[in-house]
Amino acid sequence: MVNLLACFIGALVGTIVGVLPGLGPTATMALMLPFTLRYGPETGLIMMAGIWFGSQYGGSTTSILVNIPGEAASVVTCIDGYQMAKKGRAGAALALVAVGSFIAGTIGIIGLQFFAPILGGAALSFGPPEYLAFMVLAFILLSNLSGDAPLKGFLMVGLGLFISSIGINPLDSYPRFTFGSDKLMLGIEFLPLAMGFFGIAEILNIAVETYALPMVKKLRLKELYPNKKEIRRSISPTFRGSILGFFCGLLPGPCTVISTFISWSLEKRLSKTPEEFGKGAVEGVVGPESANNSAVMGSMIPLLTLGIPFAAPSAVMLAGLRMHHVEPGPLLFQTNPDIFWTFIAAMYLGNLMLLILNLPLVGFFGRIATIRPQMLMPFISIICLVGVYSIRNSIFDVWVMIFAGVIGYYLRRWKFPIAPFIIGVVLGPMTENSVRQTLMIFKGNMTLIFDRPIALVFLIVAAAFIVLRISYPFLRRKFIVQKV
Amino acid sequence: MILGFVIIFVSIGYGFGNLRRPGPGLYPFFIAVFLILPFSIILFISGLKPKRSEPLFDKHGLRRFLLMVLTFFLWIMAMPFLGYVVVTFITAYCFCKVMMLEGWLKPLALSIATALFIYLLFDVWLYIDLPRGILG
Repeated sequence: MVNLLACFIGALVGTIVGVLPGLGPTATMALMLPFTLRYGPETGLIMMAGIWFGSQYGGSTTSILVNIPGEAASVVTCIDGYQMAKKGRAGAALALVAVGSFIAGTIGIIGLQFFAPILGGAALSFGPPEYLAFMVLAFILLSNLSGDAPLKGFLMVGLGLFISSIGINPLDSYPRFTFGSDKLMLGIEFLPLAMGFFGIAEILNIAVETYALPMVKKLRLKELYPNKKEIRRSISPTFRGSILGFFCGLLPGPCTVISTFISWSLEKRLSKTPEEFGKGAVEGVVGPESANNSAVMGSMIPLLTLGIPFAAPSAVMLAGLRMHHVEPGPLLFQTNPDIFWTFIAAMYLGNLMLLILNLPLVGFFGRIATIRPQMLMPFISIICLVGVYSIRNSIFDVWVMIFAGVIGYYLRRWKFPIAPFIIGVVLGPMTENSVRQTLMIFKGNMTLIFDRPIALVFLIVAAAFIVLRISYPFLRRKFIVQKV
Repeated sequence: MILGFVIIFVSIGYGFGNLRRPGPGLYPFFIAVFLILPFSIILFISGLKPKRSEPLFDKHGLRRFLLMVLTFFLWIMAMPFLGYVVVTFITAYCFCKVMMLEGWLKPLALSIATALFIYLLFDVWLYIDLPRGILG
C-alpha cells in the first residue's frame, strides 16, 4: 500500500514538474529523496522512478498547448505538437500522446523485466578490469553526448571524480584533500551537491530571468477524441518510438532527449508525407513522446544490472539506494530480488495511474503551467534548505548546497554540462576501486587489460567513438565539397 | 587549471606507491591530468576564437541574484538561533520579495503557509528533530 502511494505521489509530482518549466526531474528527485528515507529502499526507488516517468508524461502538455517544453525531453514535441494545437487538434494530440506514452512505458517495463535479469547474470562475470573499461566507455560517451562540447564534458567528469576523492579513502583509510577539516573527513555528500547543481542553480536562474506567462486555452473532455485517421497514423510511430527509446535508454547521457530527436528524424524519413513535419504531423508528436517514456525504463538497466547510472536522474536513484544501504548491480537479483520485482510491479501500476491522471486532468495540468515560477520558488528554496539539513542535521551540507548552486549557475551560463559532473561524483569511488584493483591484479602491467575480451570490446568501442568524433568535421566537410 | 596543479602538488605529498601497490596519491594524480588536459585545449581554442562578451546579468538580474544568495545565507546563519519555523517564515517572505511578488499580503500568506507546511512535514509527519530556537 505504501509503495502504491509512493508511486502515485511520484507520478503526480513528476507530472506537475514536467508541466512546469524550471525544475527538472533530477532536481525534484533529489528534493524528494530525504522524504523517502523513512520508508524502505523499494519505496524510495518507486517514488523516484514515478517522478522521472511522470515528468516525461507532463512535459508534453505545455509543449503542445503553449509551445513551451516543460523539460528538455519535450523540446521536439513543440515542433509538431504546437502546430497541431494551432489547427485545433490539441486535445487529440494530448490524448494520443498519453496513450502512446502508456504503451511505450509498458513496452519499456516488459523490456526491463526481460533484459535486466539476463544482463545482471552476464555482468556477474565482470571483474575490476571489465568495470574499468566499461566506465571509460561510459565517460567518453557521456562527455560526447551531453552538450555540444565534449571537452567540457570531460572536464566535468574529471571534476566529479575529484570531488568524490575528497575524504578518507576506504581502501587505505588515508584522508585526502581534507586540509585538516573534520567535516571533510567523510567526504562531500552527494545529495547537497545534486540539489545545489540542479535545484539551487535553477532557482537562481529563475530569479535572474524575467518570465512571460503563457496563455493556455481551456480544453474540454470531448475535444480529446482523436479521429480515425490520426489513430491509424499513430500506431506504428508509437511502437517504433517505444522500441527505439528503450535502446536509447541504454546510452550514457541525456538518453530521453536523444531518443526524441532520433525518433522525430526517423518518423520524418519513413513518412509518406515528410513535408507535413513541422506543420503538425501526428507522427512527429507521438513517436518522440513514446520514445522518451520508454527510454526512462531502458536507462534503468545499466543502473540495476551494473550499478552504473548513465543519466543524472539515475545517479540520484543510485545515491538514494545507497542511502538505504542497497548497492545495485549484478548481485541485486540474488541479494534483493524483492526490490527489483516490487519495482517492476509498481511501475506497471504507475504507468496506468499516469494514463488515468493525464487524460481527464489535462486541463488542470495546463492551468498549472500558468503559475508563475516566482510564486513557487520561495517554497522550493525552503524545501531545499530544510530537506538537505534534515538528512544529517548538518549546516555544513547546506553550505555545500548553496556553494554548489552558485557554481552550478555559472557553469550553466558558460554551457558546461552538469550531468557528467554528477555521474562522475557517483561513480568516483567505484572508478578508483576498479583502477587500483586492476593495477594490483595485473601487477602494474596495464597492457594486460587487452587480454580480457569483454574489456577489449569496450575499449575498442570507446576508441572508435573518439576517432569518429574527431574525424566527423573533416568527413562532413569532404562530403559537402564532393556534393557541391 | 589551478585546481589541477593543486591536486598534483597535494597528491605527490600523499605518495604514489608503485603500479603494483598504488598509493593514495596515484588516483588523484590521474584525475588532475584528466582535468588539466581538456582545460588546456579549451583555453587554447577559446584563445583562437574572437572574443564575444555576453553579460551574465543585466542590472536587475545581478541584484536579484545577490539578494537570493544573501537570503540563503540568512537562513543558514539564523536557523540554529531562531529555529527553523521562524527563520523559514522570514526567509520565505524575503524570497517572495526578491522574486518580485507584489504587495505584502500575498508574500505574507505564502510565507505563513510555507512555514506551516514545513512544520507539519518535518515535525509531525517525518518526526525529524530540527532546531526550534526561540520557540524551544
